[in-house]
Amino acid sequence: MNRTTDRPGAPTVFHERRTYRRRRVMDAARVAPILVLILWMIPLIWPQTGDGTVSSATALIYIFLVWAGAILLTWAISHLLADEVDEPPDSES
Amino acid sequence: MSTLNLLVAVCTAYVLFLFLVAFAADRLALQGKKAWLRSPLIYTLSLSIYCTAWTFYGAVGSAARNGFEYLTIYLGPTIVMVSWWWLLRKLIRIGRTQKITSIADLISSRYGKSSLLAAGVTILAVIGTTPYIALQLQSVTLSFSVFAAQSDGLGPEDQARVALWLSLGLAVFTVLFGTRNLDAKERHDGVVMAIAVEAVVKLVALLSVGIFVVWGVSGGLSNALTQIDASEFGQWHTDRSRWAGLIFLSAAAFLCLPRTFQVLVVENDDESHLRTASWAFPLYLCLISLFVVPIAVVGLDVMPEGSNPDLFVLTVPLALGEDGLAMLSFLGGFSSATSMVIVAAIALSTMVSNHIVMPIWLRLNPSGASVSGDVRAAVLMARRISIVGVVMLGYLYFRMSSGGAALASIGLVAFCGLAQVLPAMLGGMFWRGATRMGAFAGLTAGFAIWLYTLYLPSFGVGTVLPMSIVENGLFGLTWLKPDALFGITGLDQLMHALLWSMLFNVVSFVTVSLMTFPSPLERLQAAQFVNIFEHSTNARSWSGGTAQAEDLMVMAQRILGAGEAQALFQRHARRQGARGNLPAPTPDFLEALERELGSSVGAATAHAMVGQITGGMAISVEDLMAVADETAQMLEYSARLKEQSEELSRTALELRNANQKLTRLSIQKDAFLSQISHELRTPMTSIRAFSEILRDTDQMTPEDQSRYASIIHDEAQRLTRLLDDLLDLSVVENGQVNLNLRDGTLRATLDRAVASAGIGEDGVKLEVRRDVAKEDIVLYTDLDRLAQVFINLIANARKYCDAASPRLVIRVMQDADRVVIDFHDNGSGIAPEAVDMIFEKFARVSDQKAGGAGLGLAICRQVMTRLGGSVDYIPSTRGANFRVVLPYRTALAAQ
Repeated sequence: MNRTTDRPGAPTVFHERRTYRRRRVMDAARVAPILVLILWMIPLIWPQTGDGTVSSATALIYIFLVWAGAILLTWAISHLLADEVDEPPDSES
Repeated sequence: MSTLNLLVAVCTAYVLFLFLVAFAADRLALQGKKAWLRSPLIYTLSLSIYCTAWTFYGAVGSAARNGFEYLTIYLGPTIVMVSWWWLLRKLIRIGRTQKITSIADLISSRYGKSSLLAAGVTILAVIGTTPYIALQLQSVTLSFSVFAAQSDGLGPEDQARVALWLSLGLAVFTVLFGTRNLDAKERHDGVVMAIAVEAVVKLVALLSVGIFVVWGVSGGLSNALTQIDASEFGQWHTDRSRWAGLIFLSAAAFLCLPRTFQVLVVENDDESHLRTASWAFPLYLCLISLFVVPIAVVGLDVMPEGSNPDLFVLTVPLALGEDGLAMLSFLGGFSSATSMVIVAAIALSTMVSNHIVMPIWLRLNPSGASVSGDVRAAVLMARRISIVGVVMLGYLYFRMSSGGAALASIGLVAFCGLAQVLPAMLGGMFWRGATRMGAFAGLTAGFAIWLYTLYLPSFGVGTVLPMSIVENGLFGLTWLKPDALFGITGLDQLMHALLWSMLFNVVSFVTVSLMTFPSPLERLQAAQFVNIFEHSTNARSWSGGTAQAEDLMVMAQRILGAGEAQALFQRHARRQGARGNLPAPTPDFLEALERELGSSVGAATAHAMVGQITGGMAISVEDLMAVADETAQMLEYSARLKEQSEELSRTALELRNANQKLTRLSIQKDAFLSQISHELRTPMTSIRAFSEILRDTDQMTPEDQSRYASIIHDEAQRLTRLLDDLLDLSVVENGQVNLNLRDGTLRATLDRAVASAGIGEDGVKLEVRRDVAKEDIVLYTDLDRLAQVFINLIANARKYCDAASPRLVIRVMQDADRVVIDFHDNGSGIAPEAVDMIFEKFARVSDQKAGGAGLGLAICRQVMTRLGGSVDYIPSTRGANFRVVLPYRTALAAQ
């Protein structure tokens, strides 16, 4: 979104350090759901029969740990992006 | 008092409490104290509408039956919330800027405000939600019967009565708090507040039961985990396709369910609330699902074989003698059920009244739309009827299905049906090429397959779908068997339906979109939706007459300019006798405004613009705003162009004038040059002639020689004088002369001038008369230059005065601010026609007496101008009269 709101003309190649960081946080916000999804798809490759099956307690702990991680990650990102959301959207470019 | 009566009393008290909460919240909202009502926390809690009685009771049942599968129902929404930045933020922004009132409205608005699509999505939502409402009624009656079983039991008749009373109560609540106002943005403060309270009750109830089970029954966390490992689902075992499919399904449902869309998008008051909800709602979901497995394990352990695992949340505390906890748990389940029914009824009624009832009503009453009050009343009535209708439909479904089926399965069937909206929704948000026909094709295909493979079979084999079709396929074609399309068997029924419906949905949506061409309105909306962050700033809410007038004002300002628009509005406000500067948007005013706007943008556009703001939306206001902006820019641009062309013509005129002046000057210069050369040539000719005579004549008398030499000398002198004069004139004219300012009396200057010019070479004596006493004035000026002027004037008198005894009177006068010196001779004066010319260069009164080059008076005038005075010819009856004026300031300065 930040890219599309850039005014036409010569695109800026180098940004101020703060702007650069903020854009990377936005990138992180975009990939975060993919990471969480992949982590929750891990149980699909756990063996379901024979040796090496995962005990229910372990599975439960794993899923809830990912959950806690997702909550913390989203919390961190949402705080880093607070200015973007609370201010008018034009301020980002 | 029996347990059942106690239960009824608690229920009634709880419902009354909810009424109070909703009522108080509405009152606060009316008083404008919205800040507290609309906090991020309330928004997050209201999202918990996703967790219904199905999740409250059904999750434990699902865990007891299928292990960890229940988790997928919460993992999907969590992933959606984590995707807030690129997905939900956009969705909410679209909802706010486009003033979306429901998911059907969203789809219809994106695809060119298609009423057919809106009606289709509405029907889909009603079909999908009715069993869900029945499910809530069923869960409440089941929980009632659990308590009743302890005393005297609850017959089927009693169950039906409980369900009826409950649905009536919920309908009343929803009508009371859900149809209070008819905001463009459907916001219900009271309802949202009540839901938030219920969210807390749900969470507290489930957490309490969980904590009781883990620490009270199992004896601590590690013991509980050991117990889980030791139970019948001790090993991780889950259907892989269901795990992935259900995560997708729950994520899709979270976005598409009418009730979650209602709280997530429509009731959203501030985009920044999403920032909090992005992590707080996953936390809520995490907490809700935390103790489900321990409760299920303990339930399987404690409860007798064959007892319904869907009710473990209730029966486990009861079986362990914790009546209070059971009551809390019952309230939690009750909360889940009621809040779901309320919000679903509001969302569905909005859709039904806006997209089904109103179009029909307007068609039946073509004139009704012109009376605005009429429509409002009709919409409100339609909405109330729809609410009652939706709730009663749920009740009927409950009576007809009469329980039995596991709670969770109906929920998933509904999820799958509503997920069919997802491709059209996401495609509309991120793909500009998605068209109305594509959306329609996708929805139809997905809906049909879902209906055939999942919804109809869910009623039970042989009830709606004949046995023959289930066994042999449609029309006897085995590859059309509802549970094995295309002959693919072995898939779980839900996954089978999900796979094929979504596949056909997406493929037909994309293919038809690629092949069809959208209407202009569709393309406009597509651009608005996909590029929402470029088109919109934070959306403002529009409500009531003043907001409309304000919007008209904003638009008018953009087109007419701030000053003129304000004046126009003020004028009309005064005419209407309204307080403030905003007039009510009466027809008269609108007509006047339209006319005013028409003068700037043309009548048709003006009509459309005013029409759009005041009602009958076909193109959204933002577009018109954009158009207005563009028009304003164009007007500004053309005004600038006009200004520039005016400036250009001004410059051209100046240039033309300058050119004329230059041409004149050039002519003057030419004349001047020819005169100069003429003046120089005359003496030159005689010098050359006489010097040739001197050179070529051998015998010449000394007298002749001396005569010729003196002629050459005289002519050379004349030449020198002429050149001196020319030099002098050019120096004075260019202002390069440095004035040698000093003190001196006028008398001394005149004495000097008379002495120098009084007697010429020809010996003519000029009598000069002066009044010496009056000449005693001290001057501070360039005395040499002044003397030069005087000499010139006296010499002229001497030269041109044709009287027998020439006489010159020099008279000095003094007044307040100047000194005037007149040079008056007794000659015949200057001919009136020559007066204009005497101060010009090379102007001579008569050729005969040409003594000089004709530059004298021109130099005099230049010198006097430099000294701050003037020299003029004063016509008089006798003789020539030249008047020299010196500013008194120069004189006074010296005294």
